Amino acid sequence: MQARTQSVWQRMLSVDRRWLYLILFVNIVIFLLAPLRMPASISPPVQKFYDEIEKLQPGDLVMISSNWSASTLAENQPQLEAVITHLMRKQARFTIISIEAQSRDISYRLAERVTKEKGYQYGEQWAHFGFVPNLVVAIKGMVTDLPNTIKQDVRGTEISKMPALRGVKSLSDYKVVIDVTPSGTVPAWISYSPKNLTILYCPTSVMAAEAYTYLDSGQIKGMITGAKGAQEYEQLLGIKGLGAPFANTISFSHLLIIAFILLGNFAMLMNRLQARREG
Amino acid sequence: MVVLTNLMAQQTIWRLPEESRVLFATLIVAGAFVLILGLIPVLQTLPPRGRRAIVVTVTFLAGLFFAAEFFLPVDWTAIFPKDDPKRNFLTPAIQPAQNVLQIIGALALGLGTFGLVRLHLRNAVQRRAQWGYSIVLLVSFVVMAAFSILNTLAEKKIVERGPVLERGFAILFDHTLIQLDAAMFSLVAFYIFSAAYRAFRIRSVEASILMFTAMLVMIGVVPLGAQISPALPTIANWVLAQLNAPAQRAIEFGVGIGGLAMAIRLWLSLERGVT
Repeated sequence: MQARTQSVWQRMLSVDRRWLYLILFVNIVIFLLAPLRMPASISPPVQKFYDEIEKLQPGDLVMISSNWSASTLAENQPQLEAVITHLMRKQARFTIISIEAQSRDISYRLAERVTKEKGYQYGEQWAHFGFVPNLVVAIKGMVTDLPNTIKQDVRGTEISKMPALRGVKSLSDYKVVIDVTPSGTVPAWISYSPKNLTILYCPTSVMAAEAYTYLDSGQIKGMITGAKGAQEYEQLLGIKGLGAPFANTISFSHLLIIAFILLGNFAMLMNRLQARREG
Repeated sequence: MVVLTNLMAQQTIWRLPEESRVLFATLIVAGAFVLILGLIPVLQTLPPRGRRAIVVTVTFLAGLFFAAEFFLPVDWTAIFPKDDPKRNFLTPAIQPAQNVLQIIGALALGLGTFGLVRLHLRNAVQRRAQWGYSIVLLVSFVVMAAFSILNTLAEKKIVERGPVLERGFAILFDHTLIQLDAAMFSLVAFYIFSAAYRAFRIRSVEASILMFTAMLVMIGVVPLGAQISPALPTIANWVLAQLNAPAQRAIEFGVGIGGLAMAIRLWLSLERGVT
């Protein structure tokens, strides 16, 4: 018995997924390497984020909660680099804390590299508090007694003896907290941190939708969404970072996905029409 | 009782005396160790109902402590004139309790590590199926742990950072672990692409609305959207702020109420499998 040949539409609907993977891979490689730079339109949450950092005075303290690992490096690294660059430009003091074990090393090495390029002094202008296993407990502890909760930085220096943290007793002495994270950690900062603290948020794109309720209520003052948010921030700062090439690649990947969704639906429609015609 | 009242008034009951802190800390740790070692055989001789009663009581008291600290009024100066009016008598105990929680959190990491190593050691020793992978895991685990510990000690200036440590840690952490982790997660993009092509079908009015809204947001939030039309980013931001936010809020209210109910059930040990 002769096997019935598949129509073009049926073949399109049952295309081997490896072809799809290859198309996406080629698309990513081309637009990652292409020297194509598209200016971004600055979204309101990014503009608000920038404005909040601009309000800082030299010497103001900022807490960066860096809770990302290498899996979300493409989104969180450009965010953190841009944010640290802005803080250094404002001459703000900042400290980093991680509730993700891998992030402790990633954020420390990243901050060390970025600050070294700009001559920012460890211990004098910034410090890393290392890894804490429970964020809520750490925040509650820092609200009551920061030096006794953290005790030592990553280099083993006592917090109370660090010039960068001279006179700091609790989290109330900070002006801003910036949560760079792929996880749902920002509600912990909203719930437990002091009311005078401005909360800024750097989520991955997939987590950003949930944060619009907090932006709307004013509990989060600004947000940098994923790599495309980092690109907008780099544009505001006038620097060239990783955000722009990543955002361009994401742009064309989105376009490709949309094109293929339409193509899939068109193939389904044509296949149905053909089946109806053939009875 | 008078002594206890005085200690509570001075709020030193929860903190070790400064002058003999090491002695007190040693005594407390030794006492806790003896207590736990003594408790294990006692717990094992108890019937299941007795064990459950102990777990339920400890869970309830632990929950009660945090709830009481949060809800109790802060101004106790009428009873304890020396008291700080900004906090209640339980507030000074929060810090030590949180230290204990941090230690329990760290112990959980240790427990996980122990379980992982034990499982793969058994696989390797008994030559179970795919035992070679267990060897790879154990070797990677030991090498990575050794370099990470040495790196941490070097950061604290306890050991010297030699070229072997510098290069070894960079190869293992920066050039291997980070790259593998990032590569693993990036595979999601390929699955999403394939799934979107196969599953995102216009089969109803609702599906059509969802698809066209998703497309508008997808293209509106990226730089390409602004190049196509300046209206696209505005539309995408409007959808996110005006349509997405209320829907998210409704979901979060539901999740919050569910979380509260679950917390009360856990606190009162009503959840199945507590003991």
